[in-house]
Amino acid sequence: MQEVTIPPSPVQPALDASKSKQEVKRRIWRNRWLYVMIAPGLLYFIIFKYLPMYGLIISFQDYKPYHGILGSDWVGMKHFTRLFTEPDFLNILMNTLILFGLNIFIYFPIPIILALMLNELRGNFFKRIFQSLLYIPHFMSWVIVVSISFVMVTMDGGIINDLLVFFGFEKINFLLNPSWFRPMYIIQVIWREAGWGTIIYLASIAAIDPGLYEAARMDGAGRLRQIWHITIPAIRGVIITLFILKIGSVLDLGFEHVYLLLNSMNREVAEIIDTYVYTAGLRQGQFSYSTAIGFFKSIIGLIMVMAVNKIAKKLGEEGVY
Amino acid sequence: MKKKSFSIMLAVLLTLSVMLTACSGGNDKAAPATGGDAAKGAESDAPMEIKIMLPLNTSETPPDTIKKELEKLTNTKLTYQFFPADTYEEKLNSSFATSSLPQVTYLKNQTTFIQMKDAIKDGQFWEIGPYLNEFPNLSKLKPEILNNTKVDGKLYSLYIGRPLARQGIIYRKDWADKLNLSAPANVDELFEMAKAFTEQDPDGNNVKDTTGVVDRNELTYGAFKTISSWFGTPNGWGEKDGQLQPEFTFQEYIDTMDFFKKLRDNGYMNQDFAATSKTDAVKMFTSGKAGLYIGGSMQDIDSLNKDLIKNVPDAVLDTHSMVAGPDGKFAQWMIPGYNNVVLFPKGAVKDEAELKKILAFFDKMMTPEVSNLMFWGIEGVHYTVEDGKAKPTDDKELIEREVKGYKDSVIGEAETNGMYEPYNVLPGRIRAEELLLENVKVGVPDPTAPLDSATFTEKGVELQQIITDATYKYMYGQIDKAGFEKEVENWKKRGGDKIIEEYNAAYKK
Repeated sequence: MQEVTIPPSPVQPALDASKSKQEVKRRIWRNRWLYVMIAPGLLYFIIFKYLPMYGLIISFQDYKPYHGILGSDWVGMKHFTRLFTEPDFLNILMNTLILFGLNIFIYFPIPIILALMLNELRGNFFKRIFQSLLYIPHFMSWVIVVSISFVMVTMDGGIINDLLVFFGFEKINFLLNPSWFRPMYIIQVIWREAGWGTIIYLASIAAIDPGLYEAARMDGAGRLRQIWHITIPAIRGVIITLFILKIGSVLDLGFEHVYLLLNSMNREVAEIIDTYVYTAGLRQGQFSYSTAIGFFKSIIGLIMVMAVNKIAKKLGEEGVY
Repeated sequence: MKKKSFSIMLAVLLTLSVMLTACSGGNDKAAPATGGDAAKGAESDAPMEIKIMLPLNTSETPPDTIKKELEKLTNTKLTYQFFPADTYEEKLNSSFATSSLPQVTYLKNQTTFIQMKDAIKDGQFWEIGPYLNEFPNLSKLKPEILNNTKVDGKLYSLYIGRPLARQGIIYRKDWADKLNLSAPANVDELFEMAKAFTEQDPDGNNVKDTTGVVDRNELTYGAFKTISSWFGTPNGWGEKDGQLQPEFTFQEYIDTMDFFKKLRDNGYMNQDFAATSKTDAVKMFTSGKAGLYIGGSMQDIDSLNKDLIKNVPDAVLDTHSMVAGPDGKFAQWMIPGYNNVVLFPKGAVKDEAELKKILAFFDKMMTPEVSNLMFWGIEGVHYTVEDGKAKPTDDKELIEREVKGYKDSVIGEAETNGMYEPYNVLPGRIRAEELLLENVKVGVPDPTAPLDSATFTEKGVELQQIITDATYKYMYGQIDKAGFEKEVENWKKRGGDKIIEEYNAAYKK
């Protein structure tokens, strides 16, 4: 689309204004089908993403369902104050951040490495089989994943503990020992998600011009050299985009998974914001308090995305917007 | 998995419900008009129209089979609004926010009832206490249970009854017989039984692969609270020096924790019980690896037996509940006696006359004829009568589809509404039914059930977590008595003191 710009004339401002108004109308009319096409998307965002934000109001109220949003009493920052002054708040925030750190530093690189390895597999047949095998865990719910690991690591006849005893070691209480919670968490995340995470990287690897590899081979580059100098630079943009998106969900670790692993013995390391919202907020019908916590989480996420995006741009990358 | 935070989902719901208010506003205005028609109609003996909202515990809305019979028997025209139990709380809240609750509103359980107390105090529902005497059947409802459902001393609801104390032991009778053990008469014998089941190879396979007690990550409905009450711990709260104090400040609570610690340390119970779900605990028991299933409901013996004999065909189960404490006394903790309650919103029931007509419907529901229809279904189709008891048909799916939806809404219990008792075949189950009656004789009620504490409503659950965690840590030997008492102090500091104060103030009234 070419845009026609009319330089403003200092002599006849009134006439000009009406002229440019007409111009705008004309342009809208010319692109009318584009506007029609964007309408469904726009409506979707307005109805399902922006209007619901109205509900955030209740985090500043003592919300009572029978009084409705407008009828409930305003209490200002009470629920936020309560959250920040909760004795466990710092601990819960730390646990959330640590799990998030594990996600970023341990889980995040794994799909990339896996994708690079898959890419090196020769022969479409094996490649497909391996890919499918890696995807399957993604389709199991967390309940199943956690149950499977429960059966494997329980002290009452779990196979891992039986093996430990067989090789002359002591039994390990994986389920109740706080220091085993984080390893179990991240192993389960990797097992379930790593294969699925490779999809997008494999797609972008497939888009690389084969000529580049040919040229590199001519220059005598080995497999590793090719990966290092061609494949990785080519998918760098995708990696950074996904990284920024991941940062956005900084405090959003998936309630279900952690809640299933949580018990009285490992609460000090396992209670995260999501599970806290459930016990303190929803189980007791404290909608305002829960909403306040959710609000807090979203703001942190927003700030993180903007910060990382800015850093990425400073480093000369594209960023997400 | 990227799960949107609860609050956002909630916000979506709320907004949608607010948006819908505008639409449903018109209906609200129309509602009194229909009500008026119904009232006029009632004068000429036309059927009374009643709208009923209730949770549904099956996947499908039941067909009209039962409803049609019910309408004939009670001369009503009923509109049942079934909503799935999983999301029933949301439905309650959003209907409430848009004041579109129907004339008869069932809650979901005790928890939703506690949440609704604010609204009840706010005058959103009819007080029915003063009218009950006018209805011969409704006035049969048990006063002690009605008392537990009172809000600020006034009665607003009818209750759906549940046996007061269903908990006890379900154990492997074949193992006990083989080892020459009888049902444990006191907590020491219980410990001995767990020990014998673990160490003396009761399944006779020459491998030490059995456990005594199987328990799960649940202090109330698992084994802990039941054994605790045998030790003499008060039910939730107890009187000490003329004051109500929480159960965990009593010595008996500590004794119970020591009992569990000893069981675990010696390997007489499953080692991971703090992380074992109910499903996993049941699986351990029904696979024939454990001998004692404690807590829960003794009536579960039917389903446990069914699954167990699939794995161990010659297993025999039995129930038991009379276990004396160290001082030789019997005790059983009791629930407040109701499973759910039904309320009558002022927004939908416009005047006293209409309320009385609705209560008259419930009065009829409490006759044996109607309650049998709703609880058991149609005689000859869904059940048959044997020895004056109801024996459900073998077609479980038919009952599930056509009867279950109504079954959970029957007011009162067999003693008050005169419906048939179940016809049981399994000896352990028959014994369980006898034990239920025995349990009540030594039953210990929770003195705070009819009392109110604002702090408890606000953060009781959150605070209880501190005690629950500390209890498990003590049983696993991670903290000692001093450490446990420190956690109790922590509980008090963070709001417990206020709860004690508020309950005692309400108790003295």
